[in-house]
Amino acid sequence: MKPESIVGTSAQRVDVKDKVTGQALYAADIQLPGMLYGKVVRCWEHAHARVVRLDLSAAAKSPGVVKVLGPADVTANTYNSSVLDLMVSEPMHDLLGDIDDQSIFTTHVKYQGDAICGIIAKSEEAAERAAAKVIVEYEPLPVYLTAEASRQPGAVQFVPEKPGNRAFELPEAMFPGHALGGGDVDAAMRDADVVVEDVFYVPKQKQCQMEPHAYIAKFDNAGRLTCWTSSQMPKLVQAKLARLFDLPMARVKINATVIGGGFGARLGLISEPQACAMALAVPGHPVKLQTLREEDWAISPSRHPGRYWMKLGFKKDGTPVACDARFENYKGGYYLDASGTAFTAGAWLSGMYKFPALRYRGESYFTNQGLTGAFRGYGNPQTNFALEQLIERACARLGMDPVEWRKKWHKGVGDDGWCAGVTYPSCALDECLDRGAAAIDWAEKRRRYANQTGTLRRGVGVAVMNHTSGAMPMLLEHTACTVKLNEDATAEVIFACSDMGQGSHTALKQIAAETLGFPFDDVQLANPGSDAGFDIGAHASRTIYVGGAAVKAACEDVKRQLFARAAERLQVPADQLDIRDKKIFAKADPQRSVDVEAITRGGVFHFVDPMTGQTTGAPGQIQGYVSFFPPHNSPPFGASFAEVEVDTETGEVRVLDLVNAHDIGRAINPAAVEGQLEGGIQQGLGFVLTEETQYDERGRMLNNSFTDYKMFGPSDMPKITTILVEDADPVGPFGAKSVGESGLVSPVGAVANAIYHALGIQFTEAPITPEKVLKGLREKGIAQAAH
Amino acid sequence: MKDVQITLQINGEEYRLNVAVNRTLLEVLRDQLGMTETKYGCGTGECGACTVLVDGDRAINSCLTLAATMDGKRITTAAGFAKFGELNHIQQAFTDEAAIQCGYCTPGMIVKTASLLAKNPDPSEQEIRHALEGNICRCTGYEKIVKAVKKAASTAPRAAVVVPAVRVEVAQ
Amino acid sequence: MSSRILPDFELLMPQSIAEAVDLLSSYGRRVTVMAGGTDVLVAMKSTQSPEYVMSLANIPGLAHVLFEPAKGLRLGAKATVADLLAHPDVMRHYPSLWHAAEIFATGQVRNTATVLGNLLRASPAGDCSCAIYAIGGTVVFQSVSGRREVDIDDFWLSYGVTARRADELAVELVLPPPSDGARAAFRRLTRTNDDLAKLNVAVQLDMLGGTCIDARLAMGCVAPTPLRLRHTEALLKGREITAELLQRVAESVPAEISPIDDKRSTAEYRRQVAGVVLKRAIEDACRAD
Repeated sequence: MKPESIVGTSAQRVDVKDKVTGQALYAADIQLPGMLYGKVVRCWEHAHARVVRLDLSAAAKSPGVVKVLGPADVTANTYNSSVLDLMVSEPMHDLLGDIDDQSIFTTHVKYQGDAICGIIAKSEEAAERAAAKVIVEYEPLPVYLTAEASRQPGAVQFVPEKPGNRAFELPEAMFPGHALGGGDVDAAMRDADVVVEDVFYVPKQKQCQMEPHAYIAKFDNAGRLTCWTSSQMPKLVQAKLARLFDLPMARVKINATVIGGGFGARLGLISEPQACAMALAVPGHPVKLQTLREEDWAISPSRHPGRYWMKLGFKKDGTPVACDARFENYKGGYYLDASGTAFTAGAWLSGMYKFPALRYRGESYFTNQGLTGAFRGYGNPQTNFALEQLIERACARLGMDPVEWRKKWHKGVGDDGWCAGVTYPSCALDECLDRGAAAIDWAEKRRRYANQTGTLRRGVGVAVMNHTSGAMPMLLEHTACTVKLNEDATAEVIFACSDMGQGSHTALKQIAAETLGFPFDDVQLANPGSDAGFDIGAHASRTIYVGGAAVKAACEDVKRQLFARAAERLQVPADQLDIRDKKIFAKADPQRSVDVEAITRGGVFHFVDPMTGQTTGAPGQIQGYVSFFPPHNSPPFGASFAEVEVDTETGEVRVLDLVNAHDIGRAINPAAVEGQLEGGIQQGLGFVLTEETQYDERGRMLNNSFTDYKMFGPSDMPKITTILVEDADPVGPFGAKSVGESGLVSPVGAVANAIYHALGIQFTEAPITPEKVLKGLREKGIAQAAH
Repeated sequence: MKDVQITLQINGEEYRLNVAVNRTLLEVLRDQLGMTETKYGCGTGECGACTVLVDGDRAINSCLTLAATMDGKRITTAAGFAKFGELNHIQQAFTDEAAIQCGYCTPGMIVKTASLLAKNPDPSEQEIRHALEGNICRCTGYEKIVKAVKKAASTAPRAAVVVPAVRVEVAQ
Repeated sequence: MSSRILPDFELLMPQSIAEAVDLLSSYGRRVTVMAGGTDVLVAMKSTQSPEYVMSLANIPGLAHVLFEPAKGLRLGAKATVADLLAHPDVMRHYPSLWHAAEIFATGQVRNTATVLGNLLRASPAGDCSCAIYAIGGTVVFQSVSGRREVDIDDFWLSYGVTARRADELAVELVLPPPSDGARAAFRRLTRTNDDLAKLNVAVQLDMLGGTCIDARLAMGCVAPTPLRLRHTEALLKGREITAELLQRVAESVPAEISPIDDKRSTAEYRRQVAGVVLKRAIEDACRAD
């Protein structure tokens, strides 16, 4: 097979010029004639309350106001802003217990920021001024911030369908004992020589994508509802909105705008329902709805926080025998994807090491914190924080090198991946560990930092992870793709999967050009939003592995059609043809060739000779098409190594060095892949060291701004080394596996373990702040009391 | 509350504007003039997506600037660096180094880089990282952005980074 | 809930100090004075809705940063943090202030926010405030009835409240000239590098050889206003700075401070590290020449 010339290069992003000049249009940048401005009035005073009085009369009279909308002025249909319910079968939907518990405007406030009513006005200022005139009276309800609080008998029930405020537990019919895994965990644990166990707390991290949510919606004169949104999932949002507003899908159109970062914050619906409800109230006028940063913070789901209990058992020789775990997450006020993270956290737990007996229970409890849902990693960093620290503790007890133990006992080719029966087709984790260890000088630093006594102490730590490439088999995987050849032998690839900024559209264009045998610039990728065929959307690290395979298949369909016509012309069987530089030729006799353009032009301009009535060549514009269901799931693996320096007098942790070595199968665009891993590090470091949305005792956010919620900035970042381990996967397109989410996962465990190495102390609550470190140091007698 | 009349020179062109006194420079640029390359990210001067240059090389947060107090100032936005699709050396460096993902922070980053290089044409990595505090990027981990700034420094034209002031009367 | 759009107000743009103090004399507390605006506008987007905002933009001058060896440093009301940083004499003679200014907020904010504004905000976390408190100095107010000078020691009254009277405009800050034996340092703790301090400390020592003749120690985020550590200062005065003395100095700090829990840290942590950070700052100062 000939080597690829486009795949594997760091082709320049397709949208880069628009972005460096500021011409890229994000939703808030779009201005339309006759545009009105919406404002959602939200409850900021309470996190749990009933609306006892809503008086919109003063707001309605405010200058510039066109309409005010209360709960009774919009559809009474309820919805679920996640889209997981569209990705499972009907019986599975019932089994999981998915419910639609959200309303466009509510009378039962379940979290701070819940939507009360809407204002439509001639300017944003007029809408804001009117919003201030809305009179709402509340009856405060008890606020539950944790699962322990909300499941108490007598607690206010969030919805009647979920007694005890348990939004989700693994269903008995699928998971006997409500537990994922297998084997006799209790017996195996009894037989273990070394048992490690702890309870961890994982934090409510926020995506903090730079573009706050913004929408434009319009209900046009033909009765079609159009929504401009930066959703990660145009097709599923179309389906959800159609259902919510009782419209046929053909009358709901999603225009996919440039996305200013997603990381899960745009998975499913956010405020599309409110924007569209406003548009329906003022037919013919586009309504723009922009959110403030703090509003975005409230209304888009965060990472699931909660308690993670875990217990691991080993034989003296290091053989893992049993893993027992339970993750109880604080779901927030609404159901949305209560089932998702509760399940996947355990799936990744079971996919990592060869524990013959494993039992994982995942439960979600309603609370009055803000919403939780998708966030890059989706349960995996939570698992990494607990699992990798306990593995480290076990290695210390067993007297084994953490790198060597992991190399020996991680799952690999042929083992079950994140779901039983879907085995790993490839695994290069050993190489990740070897190259990462070499990059950080593992053996030498483990030795050198073993017995420190000074104020500043260093440590190195390692952690590994597995992730996923698409959501198969738990969720539907399906991408439809059309590839249209123009008469001049250029190609347009049409499909509905969004590029959130990762550069996936560039990589997909590379896949298309490579497959077609066309120059890179002769291929155009178009995302017409919901006008394209079905696609799940950008989630679960699926875009290249599934979307790329779909693009490749559609391009192969084009190639088949081209070769069939060329075979006719050249009188050479199609299987003996090849394509290069847009010329199809006989492999045996390259001189015998036809230009692709001759075929495409002839197919489009299929003239009838007016004199003879004869035609020449084969008629028809060539279009490739696939409705693609991936046959498998090839998860990526990764190893991270961290070096930290801890100040034992202040508890401050400085990350000096971070190595992210990833088995990504094949890098379609190496620069973009590096970018994913580097960006992942910034988010992983935040999870483990600085990031958490905090609430007061009444459930109100304390730090919903960049002033008060701190992410790693440019000068906080450590020296970064990314290592792309390319061991082509047998299933993925050109050998590619996913990389979108995985980069942030194992830096979490690696940093926690480096702190452990430096201090001999493990911290069970993330983020590991200086306050917690100093407390730990004092408890251990390392830090001196100053008074 | 009343409007005030101000003159702003934006990307080399002069604009005579009536602005309400409670309008920030960001609102005037985006909503009044349609110059949407300058972004709203936080509204509190933390994220830097709204960064513009004042009088050549002074980077400020336009979300924390009252337009009415800016009469007579020269403003440069990211769009002011490219002429009909021809990128300047900073934009080119960000392109070459793959320093862009979602792109929302990019205009502010580019403006901030111009400000840095105008004052410090050959910054160290530490100086670059310190200067970029105030421009949040959630996608890249800053790694490729820092490389891009280094590259921009090494490819800067000898003259100046500052956009020249060309007075053009534009009817408003 | 804040707003993207500022509330309604009348904008006053005086052309001179005289006009400005006239306006203050007429409207008093109904006016919010805005120099850089980085604090004022954030507050107005969330909670504050002043009737009048008076911008200093059109008042000529007031942006001066003037150093005279014999008289010290004079900073005008419009001098930004960046203006201060651009002045080589500040780096040489007021290194603690220069260091505080250099890591203060972000580049954009340093280009806009004024040093006097940082003092007038009267936040216990202000980095420049902390450094200036240790150096000592005088804030000059102007009103229709004339000039009034207030020692920085008497400047902050309570959280968010200064000695400025409603009819006064703060026009200048004067810092004392550096002495031969002056040693200074500034340190702070933050969650990330771009952050408000969870604790900051500035020291200004007058040294004769290894002996501390005089000391001013300022600490932020441990009381409702920036705080002078007067008991701890007394421990230093007249003594040779030794490791043993520094240990006693560190141990004396917690009794002088009254920190609280907030978004950035805890009272307990602040108490535990305050002495360590002060000790390190004194060591920094002694190392500096």
